[in-house]
Amino acid sequence: MPCSIPNRDSVTTINSDGSRNFLHPADVNGPFSQARRLVAVLILGAYVLLPWIKINGHPAVFLDVAERRFYLLGCTFASQDIWLLFFLITGLGFTLFFVTALLGRLWCGWACPQTIFLEHVYRRVERWLEGTAHHRRMLDGLSWTNPEKLLRRGAKVVVFVLLSALIAHIFLAYFVSLPELYNWMRDDPAQHWSAFLFVAALTGLLYFNFAWFREQFCNILCPYGRFQSALTDDNTLVIGYDTKRGEPRGKASDPKAGACVNCLRCVQVCPVGIDIRQGFQIECIGCAGCVDACNDVMDKLGRPHGLVRYDSLNGLTGKRRRILRPRLFLYTAFLIVGATVALLCFSTLRPIDLSIVRMGGRPYFITQDTVRNQFNLRLINKHDTPVSLHFALDGAPTGLQLVGTSDTVVLPPDEETVLPMVLQQSRSLYTGPAKVTLRVSAADKSFTLPMSVEFLGPDARLLREDTATPSP
Amino acid sequence: MNPPRNLNRDEVVLREHSFDGIQEFDQRLPNWWLYTLFGAIVFAVFAWLFFATDNGAEAATNRLASQLDTLDAKRFAAIKDLDDKTLWAMSRNQSIVAQGDKVFHSICYTCHGTNLEGGIGFRLSDNLWVHGTKPMEIFGVVTHGVPGTGMQSWNAQLGPAKITQVVAFVLSKQDPNNMILIPRDQEPTLQHKP
Repeated sequence: MPCSIPNRDSVTTINSDGSRNFLHPADVNGPFSQARRLVAVLILGAYVLLPWIKINGHPAVFLDVAERRFYLLGCTFASQDIWLLFFLITGLGFTLFFVTALLGRLWCGWACPQTIFLEHVYRRVERWLEGTAHHRRMLDGLSWTNPEKLLRRGAKVVVFVLLSALIAHIFLAYFVSLPELYNWMRDDPAQHWSAFLFVAALTGLLYFNFAWFREQFCNILCPYGRFQSALTDDNTLVIGYDTKRGEPRGKASDPKAGACVNCLRCVQVCPVGIDIRQGFQIECIGCAGCVDACNDVMDKLGRPHGLVRYDSLNGLTGKRRRILRPRLFLYTAFLIVGATVALLCFSTLRPIDLSIVRMGGRPYFITQDTVRNQFNLRLINKHDTPVSLHFALDGAPTGLQLVGTSDTVVLPPDEETVLPMVLQQSRSLYTGPAKVTLRVSAADKSFTLPMSVEFLGPDARLLREDTATPSP
Repeated sequence: MNPPRNLNRDEVVLREHSFDGIQEFDQRLPNWWLYTLFGAIVFAVFAWLFFATDNGAEAATNRLASQLDTLDAKRFAAIKDLDDKTLWAMSRNQSIVAQGDKVFHSICYTCHGTNLEGGIGFRLSDNLWVHGTKPMEIFGVVTHGVPGTGMQSWNAQLGPAKITQVVAFVLSKQDPNNMILIPRDQEPTLQHKP
């Protein structure tokens, strides 16, 4: 039995004295609940398995912060590639805009880690150890000296802490890899005290969040929950109550009453403590529990489904549903532009990073025979295999030569090196400053990296008139 | 059984204040929220006590200073005891020379030639020296460079340890008693080639 019917003027989970009203949502089953459970199993499976699956010799997802190498589904990224994160974040942003405008808070109810862990892990354990909502509420009222409460709640605390520790360890495995994590776990905590402290703190935080804080996070802390009001409109898919069909509420036997029999099942199963019949509310995470609960009751009454259903606010009030609207096309256009640019950028990624800086001192040197420019080549091998490199000049004027780095250079894995590079041109062939392209290519021809270089020197006419003044 | 806790939920409490006929609800903040505020206040007192009194700020300053010292010590360890005699001794040490060889053939050979025969830079295989014949003078040339010429300062790129090795490598081809100081314009690499 729920405490009372929620209203829209106060938060159900906060009592009038500021204390917490701890919710005990009733069991619910139905097609949406089952579909949600399936999605949750898939996502949980991905979370647990990703560090175990190896692609190209590395875990599918391994963010090696210590070595600054990031392995994502077989691709290797170095810290130099961090700018690509821009596309990931904006891409996520536009996807979020798009999905929310179209489908409302689908993320919150179906895919958010908070919901997945709470609904499909912690609440399952709670249901298993403490029984139904009615039984859990009864346990709340008992004193801790009651052996049943002590046993059931105590067991729950132990299982919750173990689960939190497990989730925290898997989280850490994404950053240090499983073998390393396993080594650390067998070592003395003092050997890796910072990692130990991190996992301990994360375990505590997860326990606090999933054992007590729960929907307060969605309701008060989560910024995404607040974005909703700006991102949804009357044509967005939300969960709502068909007021026209439902009102006035009354007994099933009353022919003048609407379809709603005021059984309060929708309120009892709600994990955030709202009454969906009072309209679209900011607390709603779109879990569809009330949809399954109401359809169940409608089945028993022999009435059609859909008194509480997935629909747009327009659809719920009997107006025309409009899925395609200008903002959707706008978001899609942004997504496509972003994805295209991202794809172009990803295609320019090379296993090495190259930068050319003019050596300190004069911009150019004139000797008896030559005009000379000196550079430092900084080469970074971002991959964990050695790379052999060839150097060549493109579009160089006659007589301009590359000195020093013309032979093959082998760059060891993950290594950074600086090489001097000298461009030299005979005075008799010198025709003035030139823009040339240095082409660095892999010996196995897997990639080439063009880099534009400015060859500087004096005015060619002045140089011819000048008598030679050597300065090596 | 637990009695219903919020029976008065439907009684809406309004604040007396009214702006243009608009009134606000007078609801309590969640207690856990207030506790975070109280916690922050308590923390601020201790943080202030720690950093505003001597020990905290000084401890932080000292920690920074000691870490800078450690870095400096590491940086200078290679040059502190360095003198001509040590460099000559190093130039006769096979492993140091081998390491210097590696440095030379990854960087210096570009200008000074694979066999130290010179090219863009001076010849280092002969016994004629322009910028000094003492090992420490050669060390200085590599460390600071020679202004106005193509020889840049290699300190930032190589560091004292590698510079020591490469100077030892160059000295390994020299005889301490037979190094001759010459004026710049007599350096053979600069002589005009017909």
